[in-house]
Amino acid sequence: MTVTAAPVSRPHDVTALVEPDRVHGAVYTSPEVFELEMKRIFREGWVFVAHESEVPEKGDYVTRRIGGEPMVVARGKDGVVRVLANRCTHRGNRLCNAEKGNSSSFRCPYHGWTFGNDGKLVGVPMRDGYGDRLNAVREELGLVQAPRQESYGGFVFASLAPTGISLLEHLGNATKAIDRLLDLSPTREIQLSAGWMKHHNNCNWKMVMENNVDGYHALFTHASVYDAVRPAKVSHVPSKVEVLVRDLGNGHSEIDYEPEYTRLDEEFIWYGRLPREKAPEYVAAMEAAHGPAKAHQALVSGPPHTLIFPNLFLAEMNVMTVEPLNAGETIAFTAPVLIPGAPEINTKTLRRTEGAMGPAGFLIADDGEIGQRNQMGLAAQDPEWVVLSRGSDTDVDDETGRVNHDKSAETPQRGWWKHWAGVLAGSRG
Amino acid sequence: MAEPGTVQEVVRVQPADVAVDPAVAGLIYLEARLADEARYSEWESLWADDGLYWVPMHPGDDPEVTLSYIYDNRRRIKSRVAQLNTGTRHSQTPPSVMRRTISNLEVVARDEDTTTVASNFALYEYRYAMTVWAGRYVHRVQLTDAGPLLVAKTVHLVNAGGALPTMSFLI
Ligand code: FES
Ligand SMILES: [Fe+2]
Repeated sequence: MTVTAAPVSRPHDVTALVEPDRVHGAVYTSPEVFELEMKRIFREGWVFVAHESEVPEKGDYVTRRIGGEPMVVARGKDGVVRVLANRCTHRGNRLCNAEKGNSSSFRCPYHGWTFGNDGKLVGVPMRDGYGDRLNAVREELGLVQAPRQESYGGFVFASLAPTGISLLEHLGNATKAIDRLLDLSPTREIQLSAGWMKHHNNCNWKMVMENNVDGYHALFTHASVYDAVRPAKVSHVPSKVEVLVRDLGNGHSEIDYEPEYTRLDEEFIWYGRLPREKAPEYVAAMEAAHGPAKAHQALVSGPPHTLIFPNLFLAEMNVMTVEPLNAGETIAFTAPVLIPGAPEINTKTLRRTEGAMGPAGFLIADDGEIGQRNQMGLAAQDPEWVVLSRGSDTDVDDETGRVNHDKSAETPQRGWWKHWAGVLAGSRG
Repeated sequence: MAEPGTVQEVVRVQPADVAVDPAVAGLIYLEARLADEARYSEWESLWADDGLYWVPMHPGDDPEVTLSYIYDNRRRIKSRVAQLNTGTRHSQTPPSVMRRTISNLEVVARDEDTTTVASNFALYEYRYAMTVWAGRYVHRVQLTDAGPLLVAKTVHLVNAGGALPTMSFLI
């Protein structure tokens, strides 16, 4: 169902919608704001598109959307991964219609133009019709490649704007979170090959994203899990644990369990407290690759719980991304993180993902419900503001970012919105 | 599942075996009604000790290497029901109002005490608006001294390949 959007009183002055510790409800409901986000954040900025492990072989491809635009991420016959516009350069037919596949070329079903999996136009039927211009047509009308594309740790990011900051500048402190995930793999490689769960949410895409780093809601939104199934991995009562929230800058943020896990010095707390004897091959491979001490530290620290602006959430042993549809509708995509050569862990990871995530997950189904009700609540136009001041007096800045030792502080949200406002106002992020 | 053109496929184009034991059909309909009416614990009591409740993302998926929407062993079925029974499973508080119809029952396998029945279903879920779910069920039912028990239920949703709305009720 579609939730009616509140009209925006100041559609073109987005900076007025964001204050240091509150934001105007229109940021979630306004179609004008949504259009501006698609342009400034999703087309001009860096967005996560795919992981290289999704297209391991030459000819493999997956289809995605960036800011509503259809794209194909293909590994060419030269082994290079390219982010290409999924639009025939003749008259615009969508070229690749499967979610994924393997093909040496893409043939447009409309008039039969054929493109190589590197994007080159290789075949034009009834070529005589182009006379002398045939070569020029073939030269000029290859598939359009995303103007900028870079990877970090196999995560492929793209920007549809030709100029801007580098991916490394954009990621900033968030590269450490990707490193932390890779540290859990003996080869420092991960695989997102088990498929993506797709969950249709009746709420704004930012609600889906920022909720992931909301350390305040778990005790309430997810009470049914803790009451019925098992207590949380560590307490969700902030005063009982050394769990931090951190604004990493550039809109990135995280809930960091590492201090608490390190204090307990216990491996696999983040993995249902799995005894290491239950994953002997994996632990042995970790120790062989990193040495016993580093392997122990990685298995204690666990994976990141980190939001990378705007559309990538490293959800511990899952990766989540979003496709915004309009101001009130979002598709959330979730894939488990698999570790090459660790089948004893991987099947378990699948089961853990199904348990927690997606449309029937013990956690995410309720986050989706709360997101939908939030969108409904925001249709009331008074009060105008959403309050994000929790913990603003106790934030401290250090070399890792802006930290709050109360995990229920809204520090991540403040960081997200500050960056969001800057990007929408036109400062390239 | 048989590939088109194989011997099994030739067999499968024979008229369906619709001689479903009434006790088996009765369990399938009871399971549907208890799910529709959010009678969670009674629904759970229909399951055998090694029950498996599976909603794959694609028909041919291998759950060992691909992700499913739901892949509940008996223990997780118990947890799912316990969560629904708390009354604070927000996505089912209040429970969706539902009715489903099941048709086209075909016996696709049977041995001494176990029958596998495939069927089509249409499920009408009303929450904030009406959502229609549809697909194919495969129920594996064991006849025991204590009555029929559900050993496995697989749900192939027609829209499994697309983005699903929240599905925290019993599908
Ligand atoms: S639109 Fe693709 S060949 Fe004409
Ligand atoms: Fe949550």
